[in-house]
Amino acid sequence: MDESEFLNKIREAVVKGDIDGAREIAGEAIKAGVPALKLVNAMSSGMVEVGKLLESRVYFVAEVLVSAEAMSQALEVLKPYLSVEGTKKYRGRVVLGTVEGDIHDIGKSIVATLLQTAGFEVVDLGVDVPAERFIEKIREAKPDILGLSSLLTTSLPEIKKIVEKLKEEGLRDKVKVIVGGAAVTREFADEAGVDAYCLDAVEGVEICKKYVGG
Amino acid sequence: MSSEADEWMSPRKRFLSAVLGGRVDRPAAGSATSVATVEQMEQTGCFFPEAHYIPGKMAELASAAYEIIGFDCIMPYFSVWLEAAALGCRVNWGDKYRMPDGVSREGLGITDPSQFRVPEDFLYKPTTSALLEAIEILRRRYPNVAIVGKTMGPWTLCLHILGVKRTLIWSKIRKELLKEWIKLLKEVSIEFAKAQVKAGADAICWPDHATGDLVSAETYREFLLEVHREAVRRVGAPLILHICGDTVDRLPYIRETGFDCFHFDSKCGDPLKVRVIAGDRISLMGNINNPKTLLYGKPEDVMREAEHALEAGVNIVGPECAIPTRVTNENLKAIVKAAKQFRNKLSR
Repeated sequence: MDESEFLNKIREAVVKGDIDGAREIAGEAIKAGVPALKLVNAMSSGMVEVGKLLESRVYFVAEVLVSAEAMSQALEVLKPYLSVEGTKKYRGRVVLGTVEGDIHDIGKSIVATLLQTAGFEVVDLGVDVPAERFIEKIREAKPDILGLSSLLTTSLPEIKKIVEKLKEEGLRDKVKVIVGGAAVTREFADEAGVDAYCLDAVEGVEICKKYVGG
Repeated sequence: MSSEADEWMSPRKRFLSAVLGGRVDRPAAGSATSVATVEQMEQTGCFFPEAHYIPGKMAELASAAYEIIGFDCIMPYFSVWLEAAALGCRVNWGDKYRMPDGVSREGLGITDPSQFRVPEDFLYKPTTSALLEAIEILRRRYPNVAIVGKTMGPWTLCLHILGVKRTLIWSKIRKELLKEWIKLLKEVSIEFAKAQVKAGADAICWPDHATGDLVSAETYREFLLEVHREAVRRVGAPLILHICGDTVDRLPYIRETGFDCFHFDSKCGDPLKVRVIAGDRISLMGNINNPKTLLYGKPEDVMREAEHALEAGVNIVGPECAIPTRVTNENLKAIVKAAKQFRNKLSR
């Protein structure tokens, strides 16, 4: 197999969610002298494809999780051969979290994976994150973008609370705020005074890219 | 205007007839999932989290759906965690604004079904016995109102016991193992449903969150279609399937299950589309939008959406899913008003 065949195969393994396959191809490709960096980029392009399949409802969250697992296991094989710097263009920093009162992590984790793949440094605060914690992290990490996720309608008021707190602390114009998740609607986002509403993870990544200049 | 005298059916008869697709004096109004609000908690003096697991408080708060709102049914199981708690999952019961949730993302932390045993005293655990007792109280108190029980289906129990991520990944790569778990947990769902019927429930809501947000229609067919058919046969009482999110693509399978009624979400889109796909094989309940209409809309917005659902052929008009606790009674009452006025529209 030549280099381009390895790259196609590993990309395909990620798209298909072939966990064992992705790991094996990564090992074989390294032995054959394919640069680890090229393999990572091929897998990233596979994840972009997975995002598109999710968007068009050919894939569902279950398939995305399996693809993400395939990529993450292959990355374990490649790690020793990678110099982390320079794997991809650094785009900027995003602080992400699911708001307080909501413990759903899947949607947010998909966004985190896709953002990392696209070259963002992601600070994932996890789920059930109090407004104060977001503020504290924004001061500390100085991100370009703050991403808030809410799957429960009951935790929607948290988003407004965070926006208010950002204003109070004089941080609102220092960071772009994007929101997403099943409970959030475009109307709610407008009302809450955030910068953008993301229908899904793919749109979220596109919006982030736009904010940091493409 | 319609008067009470025009209504010749008791709420119990109306609700059950609507669930089974029979004749009604007017469309039924109600929900198979929680309609408890902070306002009702204040009016009844029964608050979350106690009303999740103390029988008297469960019954009292649930009765507000009939006494205060005017719905045709009362459903005292507000969360989705009673079985999981009885099976050993640690639950954070929340407060009056927040619904309960599991403490661990990993569920019980076991993966081998042979390591799992359903406790022999499952029906006597604090949470499960509380629901059975609440149903008994409500049955005694309300002979003319439909009492609806609730039992989590095996898919939802897998999400709790195994964790969401593991369940979803296994649905793609460890199919046989997940099927074993579903087979095991199906017995929990069915036995709990039967116990609730014995305690006095008229119908049982069966939430099983194989939603379009998480898995494909094919996953529903592969893992749940037969299980649901079996549940319908074995429970015997009227069964209402509840799945959140967009379920339009799996509706052709759902209508083949034999469930009497499907409680569906506004994410399915126009209820008319849902009625066309469902045909006359299954009754429909729902699908008023929670975040936009019920929480932030005005009573007239609720009425408009309720009327549209009724015109589309929804049998029991109500919220799409468990409502946010900050929804107002006024907005919930608008649903009942729409159902009452719809009768007049038909007779004009």
